[in-house]
Amino acid sequence: MRPQFSVAAMLPLLVFAGCKATPPGNAEIAVAMAVKRHITVGDKRLKNPLPNNSSTLADGKEAFGHYCIACHGNDGQNTGIPFAEHLSPPIPSLASSQVQAYTDGQLKWIINNGLWPSGMPGAKGILSDEEQWSIVCYLRHLPPAGSQGTPEMYTH
Amino acid sequence: MKASFAFPALSLAALALTVGLPLHRVGAASPAAKTIQISAKRFSFDPGEVTLKKGEPVTLVLHSEDVPHGLRVRELALDLKAGKGGTVQASVTPDKTGDFVGHCSSFCGSGHGSMTLTFHVVP
Repeated sequence: MRPQFSVAAMLPLLVFAGCKATPPGNAEIAVAMAVKRHITVGDKRLKNPLPNNSSTLADGKEAFGHYCIACHGNDGQNTGIPFAEHLSPPIPSLASSQVQAYTDGQLKWIINNGLWPSGMPGAKGILSDEEQWSIVCYLRHLPPAGSQGTPEMYTH
Repeated sequence: MKASFAFPALSLAALALTVGLPLHRVGAASPAAKTIQISAKRFSFDPGEVTLKKGEPVTLVLHSEDVPHGLRVRELALDLKAGKGGTVQASVTPDKTGDFVGHCSSFCGSGHGSMTLTFHVVP
C-alpha cells in the first residue's frame, strides 16, 4: 500500500481519537437526571404490590445478593467495588438522593430494563417481577454503608 | 355425664377443634391427599401448568434435576426449596379460585426470572 493511501485509511481513526471517558460535570449530571426522572424512565406512578415488611426486605436482600452486588456492593453503596469510581458515569450509591428520588415504580423499571447510557443492565427474565419489587423494598431500607462487608467475589 | 368426666371430655373436644380449625394450608404432606410430581430444571418446571380444586388438599412434590430450585406461590402460601438433585414436598389446600403464578425462588441462573409454573384453581 502506498504511503498516501495508508494515511488516508487512517484518517477516520482521528475522529475517534478525541473520544475519552471522563467523569460528567455537575451540569451534565443535572440534565441527565432530569431527563431520566421525567422522560426516559417509565412507570413513575406504579406502586409496589408487595407488603413493606421484614419478609419482603429479606427477600429483597437475597435477590439483590444474586444480581446486584457485583457492581453495587452488599450494601448498595459500592463498598468493596474496585471499579465503581472508574466507570463513566461512575456507579452511584443507591442510598444517594439521585437514586432515592426515583419513585418505587421507576426503580422497578430501571431494575427490569436497565438504564441507558449507564452500564446498568436490565434484569428482565433473570429476576422475577416479585424479586425485582422486593429489591425496591431493599433499596428503600439500605443498611449503613460498609456494614455488610465486601462482596465475596472481591475478597480473594 | 359426671363432672369428673365432663372436664376431660370438653378439654379433648376443645383440643380437637383447636387442632382442626387453624388456617393451616401448607405443611407436612397428608397421606390421603392427591400427589402431583413437579420437576424443576433450568429454566422450567414440568409440568408448567397444574390445575387444582378449591378446598381439595393436594401434595406437591418438587424434585430438582440439576441445581437448587424453589417454588414460591404467594397466593397459596407455598414456598418449597429443593437442593441440588433433591426432593421436597408440602401439602396445600387452595382456598380461592383463580390463576396463580409460581416462580423459582432459588436463584438458578440467567433464565431464573422466567421460570414459572401456573396453578389454575377451579371451583
